[in-house]
Amino acid sequence: MRRGLRDVLFVVLPVVIIAAVAPLLYANELLLFSFVMYLTLAQGLNAIYGFTGYLPFGYVGVFGAGAYGFAISVMILGLPPFAALAIGAAAGVMLGLLLTPLLRLSGAYFAIANLAAAQAVYQVVSNPALQDITKGPYGVSLSEVFAPRLSYEVGVAVLAATLLAMAWLRNSRFGLSLQAIREDPISAAMAGVAVVRGRTIAWLLSALIAGLTGAVFAWHISVFYPETAFDIGISIFATVFTLFGGAATLIGPLLGVLVLYGVYNTIGITVPQYFQLIYGALIVGLVLFLPDGLVSLLTRRGIRVP
Amino acid sequence: MSRKAMLCLIAALACGPAAHAQQAAPAEIKIGHVHAASGAYASISMPVYDGLKLWIDQQNAGGGAMVKPFGKKIPLKLISYDDQSNPGTAATLINQLITQDKVDILVADSGSVLTAVAVPIAREHKMLLFNPTGTGAPFFTKDNPYIALLADPASTIWPKYLAGFLTTDGVKDGLKRLAILYATNDFTTTQANALRGFVKQSGAAIDIVYDQGVPTNTSNYGVLINNIAAAKPDAVVELGYVGNDIAFLRNLQDAGQKFKFLFALYPGVETDEVLKNVGAQAMDHVFTYVTSQAIEYKPNVGMTLDQFREAFEKSYKGQGVEFGFNAIAGYHSGLMIGQALADTDSLQQLDLRRALFAQSGKVTTLDGTFELDDTGAQIGEITPLGQIIADPKGAVRNVVVFPHELAAGKPLYE
Repeated sequence: MRRGLRDVLFVVLPVVIIAAVAPLLYANELLLFSFVMYLTLAQGLNAIYGFTGYLPFGYVGVFGAGAYGFAISVMILGLPPFAALAIGAAAGVMLGLLLTPLLRLSGAYFAIANLAAAQAVYQVVSNPALQDITKGPYGVSLSEVFAPRLSYEVGVAVLAATLLAMAWLRNSRFGLSLQAIREDPISAAMAGVAVVRGRTIAWLLSALIAGLTGAVFAWHISVFYPETAFDIGISIFATVFTLFGGAATLIGPLLGVLVLYGVYNTIGITVPQYFQLIYGALIVGLVLFLPDGLVSLLTRRGIRVP
Repeated sequence: MSRKAMLCLIAALACGPAAHAQQAAPAEIKIGHVHAASGAYASISMPVYDGLKLWIDQQNAGGGAMVKPFGKKIPLKLISYDDQSNPGTAATLINQLITQDKVDILVADSGSVLTAVAVPIAREHKMLLFNPTGTGAPFFTKDNPYIALLADPASTIWPKYLAGFLTTDGVKDGLKRLAILYATNDFTTTQANALRGFVKQSGAAIDIVYDQGVPTNTSNYGVLINNIAAAKPDAVVELGYVGNDIAFLRNLQDAGQKFKFLFALYPGVETDEVLKNVGAQAMDHVFTYVTSQAIEYKPNVGMTLDQFREAFEKSYKGQGVEFGFNAIAGYHSGLMIGQALADTDSLQQLDLRRALFAQSGKVTTLDGTFELDDTGAQIGEITPLGQIIADPKGAVRNVVVFPHELAAGKPLYE
């Protein structure tokens, strides 16, 4: 069986089925939605960080752009949710396009510039002078389209599409060329890989995923402030989950979300006073002993991880 | 049937439902709450949590809260989770309280940002959201019966007396050039807008010479203070969260800059917290709101201000949470929950709502008169204009200067 098909059958399909039926088994749908959201975002971050080595600290900027793209489409244009989702996704891609010059930077410089860009977008959106468009700091209310179950199902569909895209990246020539760029862009260019085009496509794919996820988030949560949609904690979580599980794999970010977000919700709820200690210890342990994430426990032994 | 048998039957029918109700009474009433023990909103959230907890502890010490449909006191159980000031976590925890813990009463976290995420969830699950201090305008709509603002007046009402003073007494006293500096969040931006609106409506000869919004995470006001001074205002109104006000007052003191009339929001809201961080001299003569922390209402429900302050400080002394308006808000929220339970026909959420709204205009607590409009927004509590007066020993008091019928002193200008 081809690797791609195997990844879809044994990873993508089970994850999507579990996510789809989970609300029938567990009533806290918002918690499940948060899992779906972070599963998607971690994979979106994986597309740019895992495959090209560019770490966008300000990933939440694209997510927030998608959320506000959705909100403005509903509030100002009066569009139905599915059309507004398309606008939200487009808003994410547009912001991604606007930020493509940042790809000229590398390493920490790209990460910091990206974070600054996200803050700039946040300040623009929350500016009281734009109240007529974004509602500024007063917050958005989308109660007229509030549909938690439907928006959850759409969130699962977005997760499915994202996982399929990642399975393709993981097993395609294009994905391989991106990894070559990550390892040594000069050698990759000399071998005929279109470095700039490859990075740009990966970044825009990542932005599309974040924009779409932000749009679904806006639909699902329906009342929020700029602080909510541009919460830097969303970037941090997506980054840590991806690193914890193992970037450039399909299963790594999934593991990261399930373990760390599971711990976050278990310890964070039951013993919040120990939460930061335990969470911090987990991350320090990871950096010291498993810098390539949990999946490296297998890859070190020569076992292929999807 | 004999008359005796008939009487027995009637007695049985009359007692039956009561006896049944007694059996069906829950062992405890679960109150679900979300608070922020860390992060940006901890300073306004923890006092509310502590105030609410104090009320619950007091009720339980007396056997619980009276719950009308069961005709007896039932112990209260507080289930409160820490959202760490994270709106996403707050949303998940609110859902947890409703769907997993199946609480009877749902109390939101403090402030608009953390309350916002709870509003649609409560509505979706048809749970009445007892909202202590989330004043955001989008929450209150006529088509949503599942929210009630308990302890904080709506943001548009806060600057009513400040504007009233500036446009009458202030103009007469030469306060004709106004500077407004505000943090760009829902709470303070709404107040800045309302203040501009009041000034404009009044037609008073006031010129707004400086009007600037700054991010809520602003912590250095040095350049902004110079910019304000360059505009030569007679009156400066600074509207921020507690962290903003502390930074502003510190920077102002460091710069040695004085304005004839200076208003800051939090010296009157979290007086002890601001005093601890900036000292009495930096607060001296600053105009501010007078919240229930500095007004002695005559409550017909619950403790008086002095009694509550004593109980609060006895319970939480040394735990890092200062007594202030938000502590009163938490306790007052508990009182109103108690009133609703004592007057409701059942624990059904719409019955609780009817019972709570029935208190509107009838109940006065240490927080003032409880009054709701039909959207659930709080309109009864007022915020007169006061002025902080420091004494040589480092203590401060907030003296009401406007409106005249409540005034305890005259304004003193720098």
